[in-house]
Amino acid sequence: MNAFDRLTAILKGNRRDIDRLPAMSSVGTYTLDSMEALDAHWPDAHRNPEKMARLAAGLSMLAGLDNITVPFDLTLEAEAFGAPVDFFEGQVKWPTVKEFIADDASDLRIPGDLLSAGRIPTVLKALGILREEYGGEIPVIAYVNAPFTSIGSYLVEPSEFLKWIKRAPEKITQLCNEMYPRYAEVANAFVEAGADIITFREEGASLDSISPRHFDDLIKPYLKKMVALTRAPRIIHICGQCVSGDLELITGMMECGAEAITIGETTSMRAAKEIADRVKSGYPIGGNVSAYNVIHNGPVERIRDHVRVAIEEGADMVALGCDFWLETPTAHVKAFVEAVKEFGKSPYGR
Amino acid sequence: MSESTRERVFKKLTHAVDLGDEELAAEGANEALAEEVPPYDAIIHGLAEGMKLVGDKYERKEYFLPDMLLSADAMYAGLNILTPHIPKDASRSKGKIILGVVEGDVHDIGKNIVKVMLTASGYEVIDLGRDVPTPEFIEKAKSEGAQVIAMSTLMTPTLMSMQDVEQSLDKEGMKGKVRTIIGGGSVSEEWRERIGSDAYGKDATEAVSKIKTLIDTIIATAESMKEEDGSS
Repeated sequence: MNAFDRLTAILKGNRRDIDRLPAMSSVGTYTLDSMEALDAHWPDAHRNPEKMARLAAGLSMLAGLDNITVPFDLTLEAEAFGAPVDFFEGQVKWPTVKEFIADDASDLRIPGDLLSAGRIPTVLKALGILREEYGGEIPVIAYVNAPFTSIGSYLVEPSEFLKWIKRAPEKITQLCNEMYPRYAEVANAFVEAGADIITFREEGASLDSISPRHFDDLIKPYLKKMVALTRAPRIIHICGQCVSGDLELITGMMECGAEAITIGETTSMRAAKEIADRVKSGYPIGGNVSAYNVIHNGPVERIRDHVRVAIEEGADMVALGCDFWLETPTAHVKAFVEAVKEFGKSPYGR
Repeated sequence: MSESTRERVFKKLTHAVDLGDEELAAEGANEALAEEVPPYDAIIHGLAEGMKLVGDKYERKEYFLPDMLLSADAMYAGLNILTPHIPKDASRSKGKIILGVVEGDVHDIGKNIVKVMLTASGYEVIDLGRDVPTPEFIEKAKSEGAQVIAMSTLMTPTLMSMQDVEQSLDKEGMKGKVRTIIGGGSVSEEWRERIGSDAYGKDATEAVSKIKTLIDTIIATAESMKEEDGSS
């Protein structure tokens, strides 16, 4: 069974059909090691489709990771909507916006031809290359930074945006209403270009920042609409806390209608699975091995332990809680994949 | 001014911060001035008390980030009115802190909350803002004669910038003279240990109490050195 069939089966709800769980990341799959090994360094790999494709597939090639992911940053959509982005030439740093351009929806200049704006064409070309090369063998994920986080972190000044939640929620509603179809447009372009799966990243929507009520009012409606518009299997990813005491976002995330969700290490896999099973038994959840604390720091024995625990607690996909930490040694990624192969054997690997 | 007047004004200020109501905070601050409640007391027992309450509610997940931000605004509304009226000697700063979000990161919400709470606790804060280049932390700490550099980052990729600051301090021979504290979403006690920072604050409240400890230690060390000098 290849990696593509394995992940596809899980997202179709056929976990029983798989030989073992996948070892994956629903978000970024890049490291300094793979940039070096494949001569695909940042910032070039953000703007050159061949390098983007090589780097995205790097950890599958070097360590046997069960998926490939593009792009590599959080500002892609914001840039396409007019935000100036700093790529830190000559350094390996995450791109970041230089300024916040919007006070309200009228400040956003949506390009007529969104798909040729910013680096979207780069991602589309990279996806074409990846489909050609790995189609039907290794699943290719493209992530889309979802509107609440993308707008509220990279287009509008984040403190002001968060205050609107209480003072002027209609401003958020208006922005998200106007913008979600454009984010969905990007997602579908990715699908047409070669993405097998779309991850919607909504990092800004965890219990670290907002209340479950605000998740239901201001985030869920748009995620739900985007999921409905997107023509490929979908994953919703929130790396912050999704369960805390009596409060939880798992139910709300599931109600968005995606095929699966992925969570980070600050959310208990056991708690998340318990909630999920009450809502819809068997609903797939991926996670929640720490990218920095476990996969980067190691050592190998500890990586194995964390993988085993994630599987014991019910993970349907053994995934990192966040993008790979840049300095992660390839040997640690290999150890992660090997541990999943060992502990994640069917049936259920438990 | 009666005891009950003082209490009433303090309560109003605390309540205003808790509600995140700027107008009420300004009203309370003006009332404090009109009733001749010492402005420093109004800050400490009124506004800062409110911020502490809000911090506790955030901890218990009764409040979330938007609440914290509105409370911080209310706090500033009160501070802006009260601070100019503090007599010089009472406003003597308890210590000077260089504060900023490290290079490559623009998420400054947590940093701003720490700033509010430090200011309310009587510290002088030099706020360098967000996406602060490493040399700027070092230069400012030197030129301002600050005791503490406080850095934050939300994202994991920018954690490395904190290490850059620690290494630069080391190179400049400033390690140990200027103390450092780190905090933010991706920061942990483990990371502090790894890069050799002096303290880690898991939230704004803890950051303030740890900065207090750092500065108290510096002052105690300086005083004991003075005593030794005197005896020799």
